[in-house]
Amino acid sequence: MSAIILTGLDLSAEEVWAVSHGERVLLAESAAVSMRANYQDWLDLGAPDVLAGKEAWLLGADEECRAPSAIRLRAFVESHCTGVGKLLPESWVRALMLCRANVLASARSGCRPEAVQLLLDMLNARIHPKVPAQGSVGAAGDLAPLAHVARVAFRLGGQSNCPKGTLPAHQAMADLPDFTPTPKEALSYINGATLSVALGAIAIVRAEKLLTSSEAVLAMTMEAVLAQKACISVVALEARGHRGGIQVAKTLNKALYDSELCNDSRKPDAFSIRCAPSVLGAARDTLNYASETVHCELNGACDNPLVIDGKLIEAGNFHGAPIGLAMDHLKVALTQVATVSERRSFRLTHGDLSGSLPSFLVEDRGRNSGFMLAQYTAASLASECKGLAMPATVDTIPTGQHHEDHVSMAPIAARATLKILDALSEIISIEALCAAQALDFRLEGAFFNAKGEKQIGPKARAASAVKRTHAIIRKASKRWTIDRVLHLELQACATLIRQGKLLEEPSPW
Amino acid sequence: MPKLKINGHDLSLAQLAQVARKGLPVSLDPAALGEMNRSLAWVSQAASGTLRDAQNRPQAVYGINTGFGSLAHLRIPQKDLLKLQRNLIRSHAAGVGEPAPRDVARAMVLLRANALAKGASGCRPELVERLLALLNAGCDPIVPSQGSCGSSGDLAPLAHLGLLLCHLPEDPDRETGEAWFGAERLSGREALAKAKIETLPLGPKEGLALTNGAQLTTAFAALALYDAQRLIRLSEIAAAMSIEALRGVTRAFHPAVHAMRPYPGAIHCAANLRHLLAGSTLTDTIDGKVQDAYSLRCTPQIIGSARDALTHVQAQIQVELNAATDNPVICMDVPEDIKAFSAGLFHGEPVGMASDYLRMAISEVASLSERRLYRLLSATLSVDLPSSLATNGPGLGLMGLQTTAAALVSENKSLGWNASLDSIPTCEDQEDHVAMSTTAARRAAEVVQNVTWVICIELVAAARALSCRIKDDPSIQLGCGSKAAFSILSQHQNPQAVPAELIEGIPALIPEILDAVSAACPELQDLDQTP
Repeated sequence: MSAIILTGLDLSAEEVWAVSHGERVLLAESAAVSMRANYQDWLDLGAPDVLAGKEAWLLGADEECRAPSAIRLRAFVESHCTGVGKLLPESWVRALMLCRANVLASARSGCRPEAVQLLLDMLNARIHPKVPAQGSVGAAGDLAPLAHVARVAFRLGGQSNCPKGTLPAHQAMADLPDFTPTPKEALSYINGATLSVALGAIAIVRAEKLLTSSEAVLAMTMEAVLAQKACISVVALEARGHRGGIQVAKTLNKALYDSELCNDSRKPDAFSIRCAPSVLGAARDTLNYASETVHCELNGACDNPLVIDGKLIEAGNFHGAPIGLAMDHLKVALTQVATVSERRSFRLTHGDLSGSLPSFLVEDRGRNSGFMLAQYTAASLASECKGLAMPATVDTIPTGQHHEDHVSMAPIAARATLKILDALSEIISIEALCAAQALDFRLEGAFFNAKGEKQIGPKARAASAVKRTHAIIRKASKRWTIDRVLHLELQACATLIRQGKLLEEPSPW
Repeated sequence: MPKLKINGHDLSLAQLAQVARKGLPVSLDPAALGEMNRSLAWVSQAASGTLRDAQNRPQAVYGINTGFGSLAHLRIPQKDLLKLQRNLIRSHAAGVGEPAPRDVARAMVLLRANALAKGASGCRPELVERLLALLNAGCDPIVPSQGSCGSSGDLAPLAHLGLLLCHLPEDPDRETGEAWFGAERLSGREALAKAKIETLPLGPKEGLALTNGAQLTTAFAALALYDAQRLIRLSEIAAAMSIEALRGVTRAFHPAVHAMRPYPGAIHCAANLRHLLAGSTLTDTIDGKVQDAYSLRCTPQIIGSARDALTHVQAQIQVELNAATDNPVICMDVPEDIKAFSAGLFHGEPVGMASDYLRMAISEVASLSERRLYRLLSATLSVDLPSSLATNGPGLGLMGLQTTAAALVSENKSLGWNASLDSIPTCEDQEDHVAMSTTAARRAAEVVQNVTWVICIELVAAARALSCRIKDDPSIQLGCGSKAAFSILSQHQNPQAVPAELIEGIPALIPEILDAVSAACPELQDLDQTP
């Protein structure tokens, strides 16, 4: 059975995504050895005394804390179990648990390997605690969401989904070995912006998939509107020098190398096409930055206090600002991808702008409205993305009695990013449907005069990459001749976009 | 249960909420039939081709015998007029995303029925009756909540209702829409069969009449407003309890003060705070303290402004509840021969702007509440209350709940983009300014939900703070309003519950709290809920 090996050093967003979809996880022996040594350092530092001060603040008590009473552990975990609203989807809870396990496995938290093993055992047994989605500010980390996980893991209470259904913690955990955390382990379970990075990891995997899909659809749109190819000139994009733009231009050149429909005889296209390499490229650059940030965070010591090289350090590594800013930036970039795609759907459905194609891409227009509403839906979703793209991290509200006087709001940014990605998948699928329909007219050599009368010229052939894209779309949604239930077509096409069917290797959303 | 009769003229917000949430039965007022049949007769004339233009051709009337949107210049032959309506519903059912909540979907159905009952759309009374049959049977459409621009109306969401009600026998199940019936989510065909309702194939113009208005917008907005009006009252109760627990200074609420800057909302809020706090032995008891922090002292200015905003929103919604929202509208009382007027009554802007204002106003109520909560939990600000109100052994008390409230308040801010400020041209530039009102209204509803949680958190904290005061001095008397709320909340304190569980059950107590406080303080001034 395949499994991901957790080292604490090299967890990738793709692995987080895979585990969110059910992949199993094992702890690397090297990580267990490092953790054991790190735990010994913690003990050697006279850890209990060190933590006592912190515990006094955390728990309002100052007893000896190396072996806390059950009451003190319970009070610590339970009082952090806040949060409201809908529950996080189980796949997101898996990502959350994995990411926290990796932080502990990086051997800078003074925890024993058993503390990580517990989370991995839960993942492998599909025990997924119920976690409310709202209510974390992502500052002393995502305390509340992680506390709901800890509450179940330590069998203190709460409910958990598991293969037998939704059960109280002690029943859901009955088959796993018993585990009593040290106070430091209890603290390390919750002290970091890990929900934010877990959602961030899922977001960048989805974003990469949608950007690549958007490029494939763009190539089809370019053929459908008989775009000129100069705008994807690698030389031009290299002359400007942005890496993302160059990459997009290269991708489009590869997709359109044998295009007969695109040529350079017409006047330059509108910005939604001509500037697409710059727009999508800028989004790629942002995604690269977000991805680097997420990968750094996935393997970073997002905890407090830390035990590094035998020294104890109290810092602010739990704060969600790095990941919050990256998500806010990614939201804006994805919104650009959304708004520019919507404008292409507008052109494709606009009789005066598409280059002799019928209004709304339907031959018998009037009786039929064709893809009229598809563009409305894209416009509505693009507008919704603009709202969701408003930065979350510009806000901060003091919490924790003056102590936590600047917070990150990173989990709000991360959740909004995932909402934008959902909308973007619909917007791209609308462009794909419109472009496939437009291309059908081109392939049969059809064009329409100002009166809307159909004329037939020589047949055309699509570039091979576009042909493949077109065939995949057509498999899910047949050519539109008379009006039918558009919702079903949108659903089918969005599903295939989310499953990466346009990519070389499809995968679940 | 009494039955509601609708006629397009006098539906109230409270009635809408009753139908949407409590299943109040509805019927078409026979008084509405006259006007409906008059306009129907005119539409039938236009559709039959007996109405002629100057060249003696059948008179072109938008949506009856023309294409839609930018295709309005195309004439549709008479034989295809029914197919035109069917195609409209099918091609316009273009919603995506999660279904609208069931109460919102029900409100949408009632609002469209009421708009049609006005008699300006020229549809058959049977169409309205069939819509009401859906409501009365609890057969509620699944309406995707995303993808509408609110102009020309909520076309896509209403078209999904159209699939349910107007599909044909030959349509495959998956093309018949979807509906809830009881607890089941079914295809439209199965749901109608179980509800024993027959489909109604569309007559001329009826597809358009069913879809051409911003009813999903208004459904979201109206129910959000209804809840927000209660939240305003609840937030005044929570504020009074916090002010009392923090031993506040009530001179800031003196009527003479508010008469000098006479905003109605502030005057009402200050009066309510005085009533709620009447009889308290906790307020005004700190020697030498002349004024409180803003989150206490400026409560009338902030909640009052929200009250004034909601008054405006209520006025807008009230118009929309009983408005003709169609295109064209049929005006039978004009002297012109052509009774159909193409105009823009479907446009969602009035409700979209109101929704954005509602969202902003109610967000501020939560923002203020969160600051009072912070004071209650902060040892240096709370005037001798236990730090974090930790009253049962070790632990952080309620500190985590303030973080939750802060996150919710912040989330409201990031939902704070005014959706109605945006517009993206649609329909070949024919519909070149759209409302985005559906998004605005859905956002408002989300924010109202977040605000509900925040106020509930303050209620829990304020009740715990008051019990600390009472424990210190059992002779304390609470204000008459706080006392009523406190006695309900203190019955629901479960020392075993974690904070999330403590809050979970509070929203269900809201009606009980509001009723008990109203009974204890009959002088309280409410936001007008029934015009």
